[in-house]
Amino acid sequence: MNALEVHNLVKTFGSVRAVDDVSFSVPEGSVFGLIGRNGAGKTTTIRMMMNIYIPETGEVVLRGSKIGQEFRDKVGYLPEERGLYKKMKVMETLLFFAELKGKTGREVERKANEYIKRFQLSDRKNSKIEDLSKGNQQKIQFITTILHDPEFIILDEPFSGLDPINTDLLREIIVELKSKGKVIIFSTHLMDFAEKMCDQIAMIDHGKIILNGELKEIKKKHAKNNISLSHSGDVSFLNKYDFIEKVEDFGNQTGIRVKEASQIQQVLKLLVENNITVNKFNANEISLHEIFVELAGNNSSNMKAEA
Amino acid sequence: MFNKRTIAIIKRELREKLFSKTFILMTLLIPIFMIFALGSGTIVNSLGGNTKFNIEIISQSPQLTSAIKSAFAENNDIKEGNLKVSFSTKSKPEFNSFLGSSREKLLKENLTGIIFIPDSSLQDKEIEYYSKNPNNSSLFNKLRQPINKALIDLYFQGQNLTGNQINFARKNVDINGYKVSSDKQIQKAGYGNMIASFLFTFLLYFSLLYIGAMVMRSVVQEKINRIVEILLSSASSTELMIGKILGNSITGVIQMFIWLLPLMLLISTSWFVLPDELTLSLTMGNILFVLFYFFIGLITFLGLFASVGAIFDNDQDAQSGIWPIMILIMIPFFIAISLTNNPENTIATVASMFPFASIIVMPARIAITDVPLIQILISVIVSIATMSSIFPIAGKIYKVGILMTGKKPKWSEVIKWLKYN
Repeated sequence: MNALEVHNLVKTFGSVRAVDDVSFSVPEGSVFGLIGRNGAGKTTTIRMMMNIYIPETGEVVLRGSKIGQEFRDKVGYLPEERGLYKKMKVMETLLFFAELKGKTGREVERKANEYIKRFQLSDRKNSKIEDLSKGNQQKIQFITTILHDPEFIILDEPFSGLDPINTDLLREIIVELKSKGKVIIFSTHLMDFAEKMCDQIAMIDHGKIILNGELKEIKKKHAKNNISLSHSGDVSFLNKYDFIEKVEDFGNQTGIRVKEASQIQQVLKLLVENNITVNKFNANEISLHEIFVELAGNNSSNMKAEA
Repeated sequence: MFNKRTIAIIKRELREKLFSKTFILMTLLIPIFMIFALGSGTIVNSLGGNTKFNIEIISQSPQLTSAIKSAFAENNDIKEGNLKVSFSTKSKPEFNSFLGSSREKLLKENLTGIIFIPDSSLQDKEIEYYSKNPNNSSLFNKLRQPINKALIDLYFQGQNLTGNQINFARKNVDINGYKVSSDKQIQKAGYGNMIASFLFTFLLYFSLLYIGAMVMRSVVQEKINRIVEILLSSASSTELMIGKILGNSITGVIQMFIWLLPLMLLISTSWFVLPDELTLSLTMGNILFVLFYFFIGLITFLGLFASVGAIFDNDQDAQSGIWPIMILIMIPFFIAISLTNNPENTIATVASMFPFASIIVMPARIAITDVPLIQILISVIVSIATMSSIFPIAGKIYKVGILMTGKKPKWSEVIKWLKYN
């Protein structure tokens, strides 16, 4: 059962087709990753899902009917470009955004206090937003996203600019929200995060969806002829064998692709024969990163730098 | 359109504006400034009046000299030392040579001026004044009356007239204005209504511009901060705009109410007594009308200010983009000011029933003259119609503009936005 379906969205800015016939669906209870490099069309797609941009064609369907105010009330949205009223106090800010979603009263206040405590902001409760550090402002922003207990949580690049501790906190909360049956959609250019957290992904490049589906299935499908290798020693000699299609060095790991699945054992043999110390040899394993590189092609270099 | 989200936004705007230091300061400072502005005219006048004058009055005949001398005998300005006058008698040629020798003194302003009163003045009341600055109304006001008195006394001398008859001849015509209105009672009019008219004009003008600029800045800020994106994930752009404009309009009306409070107390209580020249014939209804019009005006103009804020993504560009609205406010302002010269001028009558202008001109007219009910009705209909038609247009511009960033759009592009849906 799909909670949210995106059908054939198109949006152009001037002569640029920022989002080009994008379709995907988000199942109930899933963590969904919209992944792609910067400028691929992630934010524009999300803004159309949020009803902020009106798509030229296509529609977004929430459990069978077109999205409208009902969806706005049920969603918590963390935009890529964060923003709060600088002059407002922390508590005022939280209560205002909850009120916009129709939540007022004691219960919200209690929950706000709970989150403030959890994010270690108790001493800043009556501070003005402008007096908070950037990291703390981001925490407040995140609390405003989830305080009204939304069914859908849409996070646009949630991890950008977060330090490792807050990244972990955010990840923890996402897992927790998932366990409560919430639908979580986030966009990221960090393949690593997407791989660890998502059940479902849609990969977008140049405004087009190039891959879409359950992460497990996708990996299974792409991993067939793939080896993920952790080793010490130079493996570049593998390039001269015809049955090896590609050797890609990712630093700590090397991805090796063979033409037929049956040739995988041959690779292991070659490695041993050439005195390579194999720390980890993972057959039928492929990272999302590798899949992206494979699909998006030549432009892989900047992807890697960001990852 | 009007729902819990709009109310949440209105509440936030009220909290931010109504309880801000700037608001409280403005609310208190403006009346002080007004009093100062109105009072400064008098202050400047009295300052000018305090300059010390040194005058030489030369008459052509001894009778004239003695008459003038006695006319100045009881003069207050001389007693207070503000005016120093010396008297002498000289024939025309003597006077001419005296004038030549006094040139240096006059130029150095040791001597303010020389007055020559020829014998012919007993026929035509024409006298001559020689000075470096020969147009000094403050001085003339001091001199005119005693000299006139002397000439009149001398003229009627020996004609066997009673003191009353001479006093009558001395007195100038005094025009007393009486305001005729649909009320049965005819009241002696003072400057009160003129001042009230000016007050309404100034307050409406100032407040529309001030609150307008405030709304515009806050829209630009929301755009720069990107808060607007979060707001739009909860509420529609229409709800957002309505909330913002209503919040600020309510703030404005409360402020105006506070400003007009002294006037209301003046009308409805007998706590204050005004001098006769300032008698005021205003009703509570007039004041409520001003508040009502101000509210309509705020909604009309704040819609425009908000959409200008939405068009631009920084304060400077927005400031330079408000000229179309400025024109809509400035022209009516000047028309309303012109009412104090002639309350019946046709331009003002038309403007008081013209879109946009009606907001500022009609309250000023109502204060100063009796406006026919039909004109008030037309004005109200026009104002409400203007408000209702401008709001959706402003809303469209706001909706498109609010998410635009980057290049400053051209006006032609903004007009194109109106066709988007």
